[in-house]
Amino acid sequence: MEKTFRWDRWLSTFVLCFLFWMLLTWSVAVRELALGAVVSALVAAFAGRFLIHDHPFYLYNPVRLVMLLVYVVFVFLWEVIKANLSMVKIVLGGDYKPGIIRIPGGDQVKSLYGLAAVSNCITLTPGTITMDVAEDESGKNYYYVHWMDVTETDREKAGEIIKGRMERWIGRIWK
Amino acid sequence: MRIAIDILLAVGLFFHFIGVLGVLRLPDVFARLQASTCVATMGTICLVLSGVLYAVSQGSGVGTYVKLCLLLVLVLCTNPVSNHALCKAAYQMGVKPAKELVLDDYKEDEGK
Repeated sequence: MEKTFRWDRWLSTFVLCFLFWMLLTWSVAVRELALGAVVSALVAAFAGRFLIHDHPFYLYNPVRLVMLLVYVVFVFLWEVIKANLSMVKIVLGGDYKPGIIRIPGGDQVKSLYGLAAVSNCITLTPGTITMDVAEDESGKNYYYVHWMDVTETDREKAGEIIKGRMERWIGRIWK
Repeated sequence: MRIAIDILLAVGLFFHFIGVLGVLRLPDVFARLQASTCVATMGTICLVLSGVLYAVSQGSGVGTYVKLCLLLVLVLCTNPVSNHALCKAAYQMGVKPAKELVLDDYKEDEGK
């Protein structure tokens, strides 16, 4: 990916920053909006090339945004609750077997955004932290995950336990 | 309404307590990082929800809910980045896990 300035990247980052600013201030006074526009334009000029790689307007699609919301509110929250309860058991005197396991990534998540989203979701569930993401010669992705309580040493099944549902949902959003 | 706010607050504080207890009690860096995730996820989610309910019961404007939710989004977005960086840095510095790792694919593949 080239790191040059492009206007579509700038516009995409600008819209994101400006939306964030409007939500944060929650006011439609002209002064607030003008200041927000200036700051967003500056930030977008510097950060756009790092934030956006290709398909600048990929996420500005209502279907994807709704799916992202459904994923975060239902699927992800349920995984987090389950993982938290098992973490409570470990902290309050339970036994655990730590390990670092290499789990294969599914075919549905290929892009950098998708990989980042899956690894962040794995890290956000207590009990698993993604340490690295690697790609082998055939283009298949692997996640190295520090797992607090290794209950399954088979890598395919472990991957299904750690990220199965989350990866399928993210695959629908980011590919 | 009042009861729901209190229950959510209690659950959130309980998970904060678990996270802090884990950081103090567990033996090594990796396990402590895992426990600290409890604070950022369930603890923060429950506290923000109770804050939203409280704002509703007090009749605050929409801006308050939005700000509370943005707070949650910010915490949830920044926590995994730092956690991942700390975990990898600790591993590459050669911190020895207190409990023997059941399996260590990373070591084999990196050839260290």
